[in-house]
Amino acid sequence: MPSEPTDSPPRIACLLTPLFPLAARLRSEPELIQEPLAILAGNGHAARVVAATRLARRAGIRPGFTLSQARARLPKLIARPCDAECEYAAQEALLDVAESFSPRVEDGGEGMAYLDACGLERHYPGESPDEELARSLMLAVEKRAGLPIRVGIAASKLAARVAASQPHSPTLVPAGEESAFLAPLPLAQLTPQAKTLATLTSWGISSLGELANLPKDEIVSRLGPAGQQLHSIARGIDTEPLMPRHPPPIFREGMELEWPLVNLEPFVFVARAALERITQRMQVRGLACERLRLSLGLEPDGHHERSITLPAPTRDIKTLLTLLRLDLEANPPNAPIITFTLDAHPDKPREAQLSLFGPTALSPDKLATTVARLFSMLGDGRVGSPRTVDAHRPERFALEPYAPPPPPKERQKTPPGRGLLTVRVLRPALEVEVITRGGQAPRYDPQDTLNTAIDEVAEPITEYASPRSDERPISIKTLVTDETTKKPRIDGSVRVASGPWGLEEDWWSSDRLERDYWDVELASGGLYRLYRDRQNGDWFVDGIYD
Amino acid sequence: MPNIALPAAFARQVRTARELVDEQRRTPEETRLATASTGFDRLLEGGLERGSMVELIGRRSSGRFSLVLATLAAVTRTGEAAALVDLGDALDPQAAAAAGVDLERLLWVRPRHLKGVLASAEVILTSGIPLVVLDTGMPPVPGGRGKEASWLRLARSARAHRTALLISSPYRMSGTAARAVLEARSSRPTWAGQGRSPRLLRGVAADLELIKSPKPRRQGETETLNWRLAEDLQGDDRASTSQQTVSRQTAIPPTVEGTYADEHRNVIRFKERAIA
Repeated sequence: MPSEPTDSPPRIACLLTPLFPLAARLRSEPELIQEPLAILAGNGHAARVVAATRLARRAGIRPGFTLSQARARLPKLIARPCDAECEYAAQEALLDVAESFSPRVEDGGEGMAYLDACGLERHYPGESPDEELARSLMLAVEKRAGLPIRVGIAASKLAARVAASQPHSPTLVPAGEESAFLAPLPLAQLTPQAKTLATLTSWGISSLGELANLPKDEIVSRLGPAGQQLHSIARGIDTEPLMPRHPPPIFREGMELEWPLVNLEPFVFVARAALERITQRMQVRGLACERLRLSLGLEPDGHHERSITLPAPTRDIKTLLTLLRLDLEANPPNAPIITFTLDAHPDKPREAQLSLFGPTALSPDKLATTVARLFSMLGDGRVGSPRTVDAHRPERFALEPYAPPPPPKERQKTPPGRGLLTVRVLRPALEVEVITRGGQAPRYDPQDTLNTAIDEVAEPITEYASPRSDERPISIKTLVTDETTKKPRIDGSVRVASGPWGLEEDWWSSDRLERDYWDVELASGGLYRLYRDRQNGDWFVDGIYD
Repeated sequence: MPNIALPAAFARQVRTARELVDEQRRTPEETRLATASTGFDRLLEGGLERGSMVELIGRRSSGRFSLVLATLAAVTRTGEAAALVDLGDALDPQAAAAAGVDLERLLWVRPRHLKGVLASAEVILTSGIPLVVLDTGMPPVPGGRGKEASWLRLARSARAHRTALLISSPYRMSGTAARAVLEARSSRPTWAGQGRSPRLLRGVAADLELIKSPKPRRQGETETLNWRLAEDLQGDDRASTSQQTVSRQTAIPPTVEGTYADEHRNVIRFKERAIA
């Protein structure tokens, strides 16, 4: 951060959200903006209206009304309780946007934030940098956080807060004119204690200017430290400096639901809106979601938590939502949902430098989103980068997260091909019935085209002495089960067989493997790799040479 | 570009960034992905064209999957990334590594249904991976042939993202969407050993025929590809020579070729006389 000259006057911007409980609720449920809505604090009959939309206010609903009184004036009034989760998320969103303007932001609580505006005027080289900054702040908060705010800029926090509370926003207090700006304001703007306010009123003091004109020592001797603080504030001097906050390590959005949700679909609909708000906030800070934690409050007092780790940081809502849906389908809550909280653990999105002469590098962000979407579509263990495993069993393999190394700086020439014949693996291996030499001879069926083919085209089966066994396959037939109907059928007489090659692994353990492998060519065409399990004598085809 | 003030000889050599990019995009390396399989490349006029869909069909043991792995190996070894959407779950990483595939650069996706294959491919195409291979395995393919509209959408997406899309299927699935279709057929296994001696599988020879091409007169052209088992090979140098791709035209012995050429000339002379 560039150092500021010590003699430059401080400039503090106050961002104030009027009717904060209402604004926070409308941020979570924007469809209620055009409805007569009232926010109530308290429980049961003690609940009182704390804020209401314009439509409700026009009907005469005021803060302090009970729900019955409000409904008597407006029967169609929609009532919502104060929601701590909504307000927390709205406050964090406001602070996130403020932090995108300045690194020094103080959390004022209740929809308020103070921002150190020193040095920001360089970004607004117009005639009135403060006004441009204030309008930019209002626009950014409205657009990115979904909150209507008022902005006041002054040299002290109180002056900025008072300026922000003026109906016409933005309100700018020129440097050194804080006392004059505050002087006509009533004492109540300082929100003093009732006893102190009563004392000052009994002295005949009604405005901040009158308090500021009194001698400081006299005030302190009569009212103590509280009086000293009030006197300083009335003169436009902050008793506490701006205290920047440390941004929390997670992004949280949540909501208390109007009624318990039993089905997944309506919950996914609500969660989508929350995820949209989270990703928007992460975008402001240039971050992406690495891990998502869902906390569900269940009826009557249950709790359900899920944690989803993403294969790569992403801000793609569709991906996040699909993963969330899949996880909840696999692990559903056992009671209706009444509240939810989504915590997104952020991480920096992957970045790469573009190459001038080599192959084009993949965009890490796009790739991460792609992998996450594939992961959400196909599930765990179906997407990744294959790896070999140091073992003899051909079916063994490993799968690792896909993170290709950067391409070479210069384009490589295509190397000559190896021209290797490879095996198309059958997973799991297909169990077959094999007739071997010494067993039952293949039955000749004139209707069987395979046998006909042998007569017409293929050479007679070549007999030879097997190097390790005199049992060699001469005919194969797929065992018909429910599973094998979905697999390729492998039937026919063996034209040429080559083998066996023994394979032994883990012979010292209970999971030992003893197989005899064969390469066979069927008379009807096709080259297969099959093996006989020495332990039980079953035959399997585990690959097709293709 | 305002290069009027420059000397003419110098100005001719000056290029704008856009011109340089356009020139680079016109180079063979930028327009096509060579597959290192001479016959396949010859039929495709240099390799898989970026932004186009090619379908490769073939029955069992036709060398189709070997060709897929050879293509993946050729592309990943030049430093490019590639994706394999493997419906039959048929990839053996050990075999792929032996075939030369750089496994770190290979994205392996294993859907269970053709619908998943199409959806996965559509997602992968947006990532910028230059080669996407869809292998639908062996029949019965779970999900049938899929809707032609889905294949057309994939082809359009491949064109939009300049991705080479190779469909490997047992029979034609993509309908009219593929720019070129090749069929691997007539596989002939070769065995070592004769008479009563033990046999050893050496490899497979398969014909690859171009059955659909943007240039209709090329349709029907055939190349023969020889695939050999890994056990036969000793190192890369020998391996590179083991793939002997022989064109049918060039396979004609010189004497026969001469006869054929003479006959051909005679036919032309005969036709010329007839016209006269």
